[in-house]
Amino acid sequence: MSQKPVSRDENLRKSRLVFYENDVQRLNAEIDTFLELSKARCALLVDRDGHLVTRRGEPVRTSEETVSALIAGSFAATREMARLLGENEFAILFHQGTRDSIQLQLIGERTLLATLFDGRTNLGMVRFYAQETAGRINEVLEEIHSQNRSADLNADFGSRAEDALDKLF
Amino acid sequence: MVQINFAQKSVNLKIVYYGPGMSGKTTNLEIIHQRAPEGNRGDLTSISTDGDRTLFFDYMPLDLGTVAGMRTAFQLYTVPGQVYYNSTRKLVLQGVDGIIFVADSSASMVNQNLESLRNLEENLNEYGKSLSTLPHVIQLNKRDLPDAMTVDELARLLNPHNAPMFEAVANTGQGVFPTLKALAASVLKNIMNEAGQKSGYSAPQAPAPAARQAAPARPQAPAAPRAPAFAPPQSPLPMQAPQPNYSMGVPQAPAGGGFFPGAPQAPAHPMPAHAQQPPGGLQLARPSPAGHPPLAMSQTRSQPRPALNVAAQRPAPAPQARPQPRPAPAPAHGQARRPAAKAPAPAEKPRRKLTPIFIVAGAGVGAVLAWVLTNVL
Repeated sequence: MSQKPVSRDENLRKSRLVFYENDVQRLNAEIDTFLELSKARCALLVDRDGHLVTRRGEPVRTSEETVSALIAGSFAATREMARLLGENEFAILFHQGTRDSIQLQLIGERTLLATLFDGRTNLGMVRFYAQETAGRINEVLEEIHSQNRSADLNADFGSRAEDALDKLF
Repeated sequence: MVQINFAQKSVNLKIVYYGPGMSGKTTNLEIIHQRAPEGNRGDLTSISTDGDRTLFFDYMPLDLGTVAGMRTAFQLYTVPGQVYYNSTRKLVLQGVDGIIFVADSSASMVNQNLESLRNLEENLNEYGKSLSTLPHVIQLNKRDLPDAMTVDELARLLNPHNAPMFEAVANTGQGVFPTLKALAASVLKNIMNEAGQKSGYSAPQAPAPAARQAAPARPQAPAAPRAPAFAPPQSPLPMQAPQPNYSMGVPQAPAGGGFFPGAPQAPAHPMPAHAQQPPGGLQLARPSPAGHPPLAMSQTRSQPRPALNVAAQRPAPAPQARPQPRPAPAPAHGQARRPAAKAPAPAEKPRRKLTPIFIVAGAGVGAVLAWVLTNVL
């Protein structure tokens, strides 16, 4: 398998996701509107690597990091299944529970909108507004990803991280 | 892929344990889960078969704490070792920031080690990465086996990039933490190196966080011989298998609340057939079975929604992208009647301007009617 040559800028853009406060505020505003319209209880924006970008609505009882990792894993497995079946990918997943259900919506290339809802709304409502919201969120994300963004951490981040590692291990 | 979230003040990194089947990847994670301080470790989640073979991945978040104002966390994953599960193994590598290759030191496993290493490089290449540039370390596990190959032999076979190597007996904990620490340091160093390279970049509209000076790459200091907080036992090594205390499979939410703490018990009901379709306005207003009220846009919750955690998301002084007040339910209902496949909405939502238009139109019609009544009739 040959490795495609990529420019340094492209490689750096692919190697990290950087969100500033303004980015997350814009994303939060979209998700808040979505939650109000759809009557869903909670929405998580997760990148495909399993990292949580933001969560709005009611807090999740279990670990948000774990839920995010499983969401990303679930979507990745389904995507592979789609490819084996000749599809590019399945853009929407839905898991129905007895009380809570979850819908996963792909946004752009590498972000997922997971919506948790219960019997006070229904799948149609959630799906309709999720699709609308996905378009608007995608615009924000494309703007974020298209920029060469400085992600400079504090100058002493490295040394302090080493200290933290020494304490932890 | 490193995620740096200045809004949540967090840095997230993904580390994957890779290696042939039964080499001890999951055992590494179990030991970390057992011995890491409770405040730093999250739940260990394992998607495995009945035979304790990893089916998809094991996962555990490990919190390094707040470092220079940023909450730094490692997401630790293992992959299935069996070749049979290569399709799922590849998926876990997406966005990986560092690799721990867990090799089985047994002479009988040399071919499996080589095959797994070759497979790792192939799978990384599919994501545009390579072991030649990706931070990685090699753990030589099962050093207590009588047929264990020498370190030099294994290094010659498995370490073409001269990565750091560690001897380990993972089921006793020996070598587990030094391996992880070395990789974590390497990954963090890599971040700082990239930050230094990117210092010339411009971020036109970025509301810069307080600390955004270019960070020069800091040479990695040799690990100081510091007393570990929870030193793994050294040889002679008890060989009993650890008994991890974690639930296999997806973590079950405590009964009574589903995903949400204190969640009210919403009535469980089968999804109405019409709800399976993209809803038009009429479908939304149709009464649902089982006595549920129609789900119109003006429907109010039986339970008030808890306040959104806006305060927890650290408001920024940056201008709001959407400063208008939240749309009223009535115009939003009108939005629901529009086809879903409409053109992308402009930045200013049309539905928020419908009300003034209706007012102006109504006033105009009223004026015409008044003129007709007074002058014509």
